[in-house]
Amino acid sequence: MKKSFFAVSSVSLALMLGVGAAIAQDAEPIRIGVAVAQTSNVALLGQEQVIGAEIAAQYFNDLGGINGRPIELVIQDTAGDEAGAINAFNTVIAEGVVGIVGPTLSQQAFAADPIAEAARVPVIAPSNTARGIPEIGAYIARVSAPVALVAPNAVRTALEFDPEIQRVAVFFAQNDAFATSETGTFQETVTALGLELLPVQTFQTTDTDFTTQITNILPLNPDLAIVSGLAADGGNLVRQLRELGYEGLIVGGNGLNTANIFPVCQAFCDGILIAQAYSYSYENEVNSAFRDIYFEQQGKEPPQFSGQAFAGVQVFVEALIELDNTVGLDTLDLAATRDQLNTTLLGLTYDTPLGVISFTPEGEINQGTFYVAQISMNEDGQTGSFVFVNTIDVTAEATPEATPAS
Amino acid sequence: MDQFITTYGFLIIMMMLQAVLALSLYLPLMAGQLSLATPGFFAIGGYVAAVLSTQKFLPAPGTTFPEPLQSFVTWLATVFPLTPTGQGFPIGLVLVEMVIGGLLCGLVAILIGLPALRLRGIYLALATIAFVEVLRVVSLNLPITGGAIGIFGIPQPFPTDATKFSYIVIALPFLLLCMAYVYRLERSRVGRAFIALREDELAATAMGINPTYHKVLAFAMGAVMAGMAGAMTAHVLNTWNARQGTFDASILILAYVIIGGSRTFLGPVVGALLLTALPEVLRQVAGIDGLPDFLAAFLRDGRLVIYGFLIAFGVLSFPQGLLTPELLKRKKKASAPLPPTGGG
Repeated sequence: MKKSFFAVSSVSLALMLGVGAAIAQDAEPIRIGVAVAQTSNVALLGQEQVIGAEIAAQYFNDLGGINGRPIELVIQDTAGDEAGAINAFNTVIAEGVVGIVGPTLSQQAFAADPIAEAARVPVIAPSNTARGIPEIGAYIARVSAPVALVAPNAVRTALEFDPEIQRVAVFFAQNDAFATSETGTFQETVTALGLELLPVQTFQTTDTDFTTQITNILPLNPDLAIVSGLAADGGNLVRQLRELGYEGLIVGGNGLNTANIFPVCQAFCDGILIAQAYSYSYENEVNSAFRDIYFEQQGKEPPQFSGQAFAGVQVFVEALIELDNTVGLDTLDLAATRDQLNTTLLGLTYDTPLGVISFTPEGEINQGTFYVAQISMNEDGQTGSFVFVNTIDVTAEATPEATPAS
Repeated sequence: MDQFITTYGFLIIMMMLQAVLALSLYLPLMAGQLSLATPGFFAIGGYVAAVLSTQKFLPAPGTTFPEPLQSFVTWLATVFPLTPTGQGFPIGLVLVEMVIGGLLCGLVAILIGLPALRLRGIYLALATIAFVEVLRVVSLNLPITGGAIGIFGIPQPFPTDATKFSYIVIALPFLLLCMAYVYRLERSRVGRAFIALREDELAATAMGINPTYHKVLAFAMGAVMAGMAGAMTAHVLNTWNARQGTFDASILILAYVIIGGSRTFLGPVVGALLLTALPEVLRQVAGIDGLPDFLAAFLRDGRLVIYGFLIAFGVLSFPQGLLTPELLKRKKKASAPLPPTGGG
């Protein structure tokens, strides 16, 4: 019995590896890869992205797909780590996708995007906001506006609400890549607006007690507090700020941009300002449709991560239609399709749930409109909602070209 | 076959590198030391490679490397002409980084090993976890390590190979060398001293074995291997940050050794190969055509649950690990000319 164990296990292992790789490629539907984090500690974000992508596939297939050919999503879990992202990318590439929407985290993108670049497969990043993502290569683009463009809007809105603001306290979770790059933008914005930046306070996403940081800063009388962290720690920090007597405005980073913080800071969440790249209340045809389907399925308004994933799939679909109209997809093999899809998608303009977007030749998104939402808690102190309080049209102003160094 | 390499080239490289990490944890365990510091050295090695290759080893276009390096690179290219296009980062420099990373880790291991190895059992395990955590916080705060985002855009020796399978020219010899080293070590005077310390430290000391010397030696050998593996992994992953080599990795590497077997060097290797491949195998099982929807969905969404269950099952049914010296001996008796090992 024991003797045969090794033989049996190695044979079955080889079989399993072989079977998966040999799945036949169906000529009919056009495959688009979705490689996001469905497990691990970022699973909450990845699951929202899967929902957004699936709604997009359903919506565009109902509209006729790519001139009659349906699209099919190939969804693979990247988990939260770099190796997982590379494995998922390799799997979807081997399954013959024309392009990939993913991965969830910027750090994963730095690992997995070069794989797609070398395989010449176009990638649309739905949520990578760190600096340097489109620069990874010619095949990498993103529909997630970089943090340097989104975050400052919340500070500007706070100044509109209270022009008296002078001293600003900044807190950030130093073990979180997103919070670290976001706080840099916040601090530059504060300085650029001529406000006084009080000593920056750091914490860890795993912290629960923020008394030290808060008592460091409260004697300096801040008028505005800016918090970059994740839902649990950021929510607790807000709560303790209020409990220790802070009364000014609070600006939250994108990590707090989720209904999951309501149970953490409860009634104290009220009034937090958060900049948004997506608003469910934006009015155009595709967003209304997206919002309706999402609401029907989930019973709530769509969040930013779903909206951006929808836009990622939409970019591929519309670029494929354009490519089919101009060149004809039937005349291209897989490698040529991927190649030409990449050139085509960078040249088009898309009317997405995020508003009208296009790309720079590098693959960076041109997005015209950003939003600022304010959290409004209900009287029970447990539930609340994001109320959109400001819409900022970047194209109307003389676009403050995102300085590459920011 | 092409399809197989496209999908699994990267996984095969990772399996080999994880096997080296398992060996690096096995070495202190040979001397009876439960050390979880391996990921810490792995992280140091990765940062060494990332910093050197992105900041120090990049000559401006058209110029050459500083002198001793350039001669080495040219010499290596003549005896070892494997970089396909000549466009990529020279393989020789990856090897140089591995050596530097390994030596640095060995040095750090001696420095922290001398005081830390006075601790025993669970206390040593805790101290080494602390070491891994301290390293993580330090790398989050140092400007040279790039903070939480880390270092990205690490130059590639095989820039045109999307599968990363070309790294096999380094990974396979590296793993085989490490295995041969530990195999020989187990049969050498020093290795027997390690094992004597593991079995009974008091008796071994009475026989004239210096416990501190041998424990620190085992610890440092493991650190060198982990550092070299880290340096190579940084290139394979394209990026390096503070999420590499954390406490989670400590537990995973310990699982390789425990599942594989902690009494022979083949155990950790087989454990690492199996456990690294398993999540990806489960991913593919879910994709087999003709499975009922609910089963496919369970396999796909629950593959990490199944993975955890299999680890627990493995520990319960094979408390000594899959490979034990007794098992190997019996196999040897049963069929004298045994092929070396299936390797998973």
